[in-house]
Amino acid sequence: MRRPDLRRLRRPERAEEKFLGPLEAEVMDRLWKRRSATVRDIVDDLARSRELAYTTVMTIMVRLHEKELLERTREGKTYLYRPALTRQELRERLSRDLARGLVADFGDAALAAFTAELGTVDASHRAALRRVAQKDNRGPR
Amino acid sequence: MARANRAFAVLLALAFASSAILLALLLTLVPRVEQLLTQGAADTTDLVAALILVLAICGISLGLAALFRQLLATAVLIRSLVARKVSVPSAVLSAAVGLDLDGRIDVVADDRPFSFCYWFVRPRVCLSTALVSRLDHDELRAVLLHERYHLRHRDPLRLVVARYFAAGLYVVPVVDELLGFYMLQKEIAADEEAVRVDGVASLASALYKLLPDADDVSLGLLVPVSSLSVTEARIDRLVAGRQIGLALSPVSVALSGGALLGAAVLIAIQGGASVAFEALPRLYAVPGLLLGPASLLFAAAIDGGLHQLRPLSQRLLARP
Repeated sequence: MRRPDLRRLRRPERAEEKFLGPLEAEVMDRLWKRRSATVRDIVDDLARSRELAYTTVMTIMVRLHEKELLERTREGKTYLYRPALTRQELRERLSRDLARGLVADFGDAALAAFTAELGTVDASHRAALRRVAQKDNRGPR
Repeated sequence: MARANRAFAVLLALAFASSAILLALLLTLVPRVEQLLTQGAADTTDLVAALILVLAICGISLGLAALFRQLLATAVLIRSLVARKVSVPSAVLSAAVGLDLDGRIDVVADDRPFSFCYWFVRPRVCLSTALVSRLDHDELRAVLLHERYHLRHRDPLRLVVARYFAAGLYVVPVVDELLGFYMLQKEIAADEEAVRVDGVASLASALYKLLPDADDVSLGLLVPVSSLSVTEARIDRLVAGRQIGLALSPVSVALSGGALLGAAVLIAIQGGASVAFEALPRLYAVPGLLLGPASLLFAAAIDGGLHQLRPLSQRLLARP
């Protein structure tokens, strides 16, 4: 998965664009609207605003499938694609990745962070933390 | 003294001592290099002097580059955040009551949950709206207490200084290891401050809520594989009181010690100050005496240089 770069981070309004290329974002956009579609459907859909070769769109959709953003089922000779996540789910997933990327991106910035390196925590540490975090333990000791 | 302070003090002491030795070596070599430039290389000594000077220039440039990079990255970060500053929500104000952080908290609109302490002389605490909305009153207070520790200790400034020395003193790799140790210890110390004031549960709960979901780990991102991550070490400390000791790698210690010893010997013989060396034949007659200590320095320089290049090459490789 691509690492977010600084320039993109300054535009927080479209989180999915931070990780998807412009064409990938456009294809996802059409699929969220249509719910399911074949490559041909998307090519026709996009043809209203721009001219794109069938193979270009197919490559993009295969890539999105490999990224697990699209699911597909075979319908006769062709594949029917569906979004694997809703727009909101993707946005949440990306923002979690970005929180992790923040430290990497601004790794050179001089800051001391509570949220430093929150990415790499194994299951046993996670469980142990959860036990300590139980609310009924709260209070000064 | 807290471990974080001690780690920083040791780092500074070693950095100053090493800088003094290396600077002294540089000063003894300058006349030689001047001679080399005007008259060409007369003997091995001149070449060694020139090489050491090149190493020194590399060190100074690396240190300055680290400094510049940090200031630039900090400026870029702050500029991007200031543009998204919102008024401090009442939840934050109420969590901050009695923490002596008046007027030093910034909240920025961002869908990533984060908090950090930034700026040098009068540090400030920055929280994102996503973090504020995700945490309750006690958890927010724990995060603010954690950041207050960084703020009171001017950790951003300490970090800049420590990174400057770690980059510039690449021939003394122990400094870089001490930097890593200090960076971990300051987070643990800040956690401990929060736990001391408000108990462990609020902080643990805040940390837990901010952990990314486990299913994310399989997304093919670069994840360090060796040893504990900073967060895991913090959790160990919170949950079990387990403390991570300073474990310097023997290779680093040997290289650092060798480099400093080599430099000290070179100063002694180059300056001709030591009586012990006056009795010895002229230097080029005993190149071993010169090349021995110099090669210690070069070995450390090669190791340090490769170490400096590693993050850079990783960054380049990680790019699509």
